[in-house]
Amino acid sequence: MADAVATHVVTFGRVLREAGLEVGPGRLADALTGLDLVELSRRDDVYWTLRQTLVSRWEDLDAFDAAFAAWFLRAPTAPVFRQGTETASLRLLRRTSATKRDEGDGGNAQEDQTSLGYSPDELLRRRDFADMTPDELENVSRLIFEIASGRPQRKSRRLRPHHRGHDLDMRRLVRASLATGGEAVERAFRSRVHVPRKLVVLCDVSGSMEAYSRALVLFLHALVRSGRGVETFAFGTRLTRLTRELIIRDPEGALSAAAERVGDWSGGTRIGYSLKTFNDDWGRRALARGAVVVIVSDGWEREDAAVVGHEMARLARQAYAVVWVNPLKGHPDYQPLAGGMRAALPYVDRFLSGHNLASLEELSEVLIGIERRHAA
Amino acid sequence: MSISSIDELELGLAGADYLPDRGLATALYLSLQLEKPLLLEGEAGVGKTEAAKALARILDTRLIRLQCYEGLDVAHAVYEWNYSRQLLHIRAAQEGTVSEEELFGPEFLIRRPLLEAIESPERVVLLIDEIDRADEEFEAFLLEVLSDFQITIPEIGTISAADHKPAVVLTSNRTRELHDALKRRCLYHWIGHPALEREVAIVKLRVPGVPERLASQAAAFVQGLRGLDLAKPPGVAETIDWANALTALGRQELDAEVVEQTLGSVLKYHEDVLAVRDETLQGLLQEARAATSS
Repeated sequence: MADAVATHVVTFGRVLREAGLEVGPGRLADALTGLDLVELSRRDDVYWTLRQTLVSRWEDLDAFDAAFAAWFLRAPTAPVFRQGTETASLRLLRRTSATKRDEGDGGNAQEDQTSLGYSPDELLRRRDFADMTPDELENVSRLIFEIASGRPQRKSRRLRPHHRGHDLDMRRLVRASLATGGEAVERAFRSRVHVPRKLVVLCDVSGSMEAYSRALVLFLHALVRSGRGVETFAFGTRLTRLTRELIIRDPEGALSAAAERVGDWSGGTRIGYSLKTFNDDWGRRALARGAVVVIVSDGWEREDAAVVGHEMARLARQAYAVVWVNPLKGHPDYQPLAGGMRAALPYVDRFLSGHNLASLEELSEVLIGIERRHAA
Repeated sequence: MSISSIDELELGLAGADYLPDRGLATALYLSLQLEKPLLLEGEAGVGKTEAAKALARILDTRLIRLQCYEGLDVAHAVYEWNYSRQLLHIRAAQEGTVSEEELFGPEFLIRRPLLEAIESPERVVLLIDEIDRADEEFEAFLLEVLSDFQITIPEIGTISAADHKPAVVLTSNRTRELHDALKRRCLYHWIGHPALEREVAIVKLRVPGVPERLASQAAAFVQGLRGLDLAKPPGVAETIDWANALTALGRQELDAEVVEQTLGSVLKYHEDVLAVRDETLQGLLQEARAATSS
């Protein structure tokens, strides 16, 4: 391997790392060994060798292509090697600050002093997220974290030793029988264990939901950190997967990372289109199958509400149960009049509010005890 | 058979009734040469599993397949003891006592795919299908096996495949993100849908007796379908099924009537079948005919 090639590849690795790919020395070594084995004069072989050794996620393919085009072809456009069905890339990184609304109207947030007899915590529990100051939100984030730790459960197919199980534990039984000449005097059992059920959350972050977005993203962040099997998405005019951003430990960091990814934070809403993207891209790969799906949205659809109904039906057929959380439902005179909301309701198993801490607690309880959806 | 270049591998695979694009051929070649597992991802029906089968055919070796599912554990993936035989054996030896070594010896061992692949004296192709369906605990275990190519059975000892590592192909439908550590062990290739010419070639190869024009039209029609907004766009597997059905019906080319009758072998969702009717169908048909008449 010529040194020039090695230098070239190592520098290319740095370019990829800057583009957000995880390129360790092991991968670079593989790339160099791989290039030794192929014709360096064939550009497509070089492309495939580098791609297969340096990339390990479908989501990174676009970034790789761009970097490859810029670095090896000295061209600003993507190469044409890739064909196929990849839908438009979700990674349009338009920087929008999530903290914008912090500077806004903090002035009207006065405590309801008439409710004496309630502890400050209790007041906070009942307080609408939309009326909270940034400081108050900060205070409740810890409570949100605790609330989000409850998860729906399902029976695993895995068997663990259990003193009152239904399946014989043959391995332990045979060992015990050695001492008694093949007589199974002491029987051993196994039983199925309970594991967290898959949970998918789709959170509306469009303009009409802005007052609640911050608190709800805190809730999502806490959910993702609560354990495996949680997938979170944000949608406005389009759908963006948030799980990876939310794995970051600190909620503020997660929030700004999420805002960066979503791009259309506080834009319009296309619920039907976003649900369709979810069904097409993720539902088809069975992400929703057997999962509890939670949709957080006020149901204001900018476009055709019929699409919302259609896509909700598709989603409900796959999911174990569908929960819709609408912060507006917390208002005493709320009626589900928004077109998208009305179209969606027939396919929703539980309809909750989620506008304050108390209602998030209710959501958490519902999630823990939820049962399979009945025929809608 | 040993393979010394990508071109040779491409030829060999074509001889084994599998037509990969250059990318997949490169991936399989590198995987063999670097002795690293290959992780294949792609839409359903693009030939992920078939790739492993074809590889086994050209290497003239056995394909050992581990189908993953939720709850898959060591007892079903690696080995299990034959408990009923063990119990019978203890009973049969009434007079003498049975020692533990005797009872937990190789003859009482039931070999599952992973152990079989590691233990095999020649190099085999190990297909770990739909790894994303297995739980994460199993993934962690697999990581161990794929890094050392050895398996330890406490009662027997360590079995190693260091000098005849199996060629490992993993497939995933991306229902969940695989662990980074596992991915780091693997080469990665995303299989897209094939271009028109390749798809026609695949149909002709896989459907014996298919009329030339029918193969081209069916492939062009399916390519058109993929451009529509469908719940489940058809893969190559569906094109092959369809071409088979059309050939069985004795068709020489497509017309609206036969497409309507047989569309069920291409589209697997009722709503998709409903979406492809009348003008949409006519339009696709015209395009498919135009594409093949030139």
